[in-house]
Amino acid sequence: MSFLNNLATKSPWLFRINAGSCNGCDVELATTAFIPRFDVERLGCKYCGSPRHADIVLITGPLTIKIKDQVLKVWNEIPEPKVTVAVGICPISGGVFRQGHSIEGPLDKYLPVDVNIPGCPPRPQAIMEGILIAKEIWLKRIEEAERKGVRRVELP
Amino acid sequence: MFKFLKVLVRNILQGPATEAFPLKPAPTPDRFRGRVTINPDLCVGCGICRHVCTAGAINITPSDDKKGYHYTVWYNSCCLCSSCRYYCPTNAISIVNDWHTSHVQGDKFKMAEHHYIPYVACEGCGAPIRVLPAHIAAKIYVNSPIDVSKIIRLCPSCRQIATAERQGELHESKPE
Amino acid sequence: MQDTYSYLAFLGIALFNLLVFPGGLFALSLGVLFKGLDRKIEARLQRRVGPPIIQPVIDIVKLSGKEAMVPETAQRPLFQSAPLLGFIGMAVCAALLPIPGVSHGLPYMGDMLVYFYLIQLPAVALMIAGSSSSSPFGTLGFSREMTLMFAYEIPLLMVILAVAMKVGGDHFAEFSLMNIITYQEENGQFITNWVMLPAFFAYLFFLPGTMGVPPFDIPEAETEIVEGPLLEYSGASLALFQLTSALKNIVVLGFGVVIFFPMTLGDNIFVNILWFAFKCFVLMLVSCTFVKSATGRFRIEQAFGFYLKIPALLAAISLILVWFEY
Repeated sequence: MSFLNNLATKSPWLFRINAGSCNGCDVELATTAFIPRFDVERLGCKYCGSPRHADIVLITGPLTIKIKDQVLKVWNEIPEPKVTVAVGICPISGGVFRQGHSIEGPLDKYLPVDVNIPGCPPRPQAIMEGILIAKEIWLKRIEEAERKGVRRVELP
Repeated sequence: MFKFLKVLVRNILQGPATEAFPLKPAPTPDRFRGRVTINPDLCVGCGICRHVCTAGAINITPSDDKKGYHYTVWYNSCCLCSSCRYYCPTNAISIVNDWHTSHVQGDKFKMAEHHYIPYVACEGCGAPIRVLPAHIAAKIYVNSPIDVSKIIRLCPSCRQIATAERQGELHESKPE
Repeated sequence: MQDTYSYLAFLGIALFNLLVFPGGLFALSLGVLFKGLDRKIEARLQRRVGPPIIQPVIDIVKLSGKEAMVPETAQRPLFQSAPLLGFIGMAVCAALLPIPGVSHGLPYMGDMLVYFYLIQLPAVALMIAGSSSSSPFGTLGFSREMTLMFAYEIPLLMVILAVAMKVGGDHFAEFSLMNIITYQEENGQFITNWVMLPAFFAYLFFLPGTMGVPPFDIPEAETEIVEGPLLEYSGASLALFQLTSALKNIVVLGFGVVIFFPMTLGDNIFVNILWFAFKCFVLMLVSCTFVKSATGRFRIEQAFGFYLKIPALLAAISLILVWFEY
């Protein structure tokens, strides 16, 4: 089974959620996918439109008050096992918007974040590095779920 | 209409333009802003970097025994605007092109540049001070005959007195 | 007694055809391989390295291990059986496919009209999936899929009629695929026949529409309607949709090879299988991969207008030429 698990982690499908980002990080995410120089597809990644197909969730933006409930809702729609990646300094710490009147604060107050990619915005290569870290975590999680026989992880 | 065919054929012939990044190191420009570093020998603790930091990533706290201060830059909040580098009077802050800062959540609060910077005692009065960096002193006393190596280890008021005394000595010894 | 034996033998052959060759295992592996090659070549055409060729296999392995979610508001039985419907339709279709010089497909069971109906099954399955998922995006995808299907069915039907009339000759139309192959072996392939050439081009235009690749991936537009009918699917059901799409590629490409250039290379079975696969691959390159890597996406009314103007016109020219030949 470990061979199949290993094989499965070679196809991480990415889904991005914009939690009130300024679009800078989103542009870098698009860059990793569509510019031949970076080409994230050769790692087996694919940006999918639907949260149901995703394995790795990339969240950008400082989690504004208006978007918070929607982000949590969409995040819950993603099937287990999944890995959450915070892209840019905004979801990690609030960044330049920290303690702003409309900011609900860092993302890990509400979601179990696994990987952080700091930068404003991070370099495409840094994003790919983060995806590689996320892949290892994903493999661990699949094997753990297999041992326990658990299919679904509850929110903290 | 069939221009795209030409482009496709050219693309096939030229081959992929992809960097071999995860296997080999990616090319990085020298001036790329990857993360902030600080040279603790040059820092004088003036606090202008904390004042101008857009994202509030810089923290300067006096230590408990008041014999130094803790200087911290948290990469997870730094937006790499390089204001601190621009305003730093002693050029203690620089931004290096090391961008390998992706990390797992457990390391979130370890991703920081942290230094404990101790005060030294002023040679004149013993007050806790930071040593004036030699290149700054050279810039300040550029047209003055004063020997800067003697005054950089003094606190500002002692230095004022020492400078005045030195100026006076020079003035007296000068033949009119 | 004799009847029972022959019945059992027929059943055995039918099962073999359905599960191993030319349907089932063979068509599936070929289809998945083609999908991988398609992605790789598309990446190369865009100056990228692209995923490994076995990437579709990896995707399917991964998807079958994921959690499969069903929305609370969905029509549960319909929602779960929709991918099966498409897959079974395509599996039967692949079993009926005659491979020139190698196999006859399921004998006396399939002809072009059966094909014409079965090829639409994955599209119908997508429509059912979209409408039963109770998602507004799914419904949008359903309406777009239906519009597109009506558009590309017209040229396909005219192509089939032209081929049938050409083979049938003076008095009647011939729909049997085996007879079409024999006719072409005797009288030259249709692709070298100037009368049938417009029909061939119409079929080339039909291929990207039915395979759902750009510029005709309107029902599953990721960026507009978040993958439309596939939005609510996850896990094994989505893997089944991917397998269906891989099978469908082989079916429509093989169908095109059979009705337009079924010439064989000698009598060796393996050479003929490879030759068939190669022809399918070339057809896919020309009609799908090149177009896909260089175009954006049509709007639905543009696609509808395109299919009613150019491919339908080409197929109609062929039909009229065939009509006047006799």
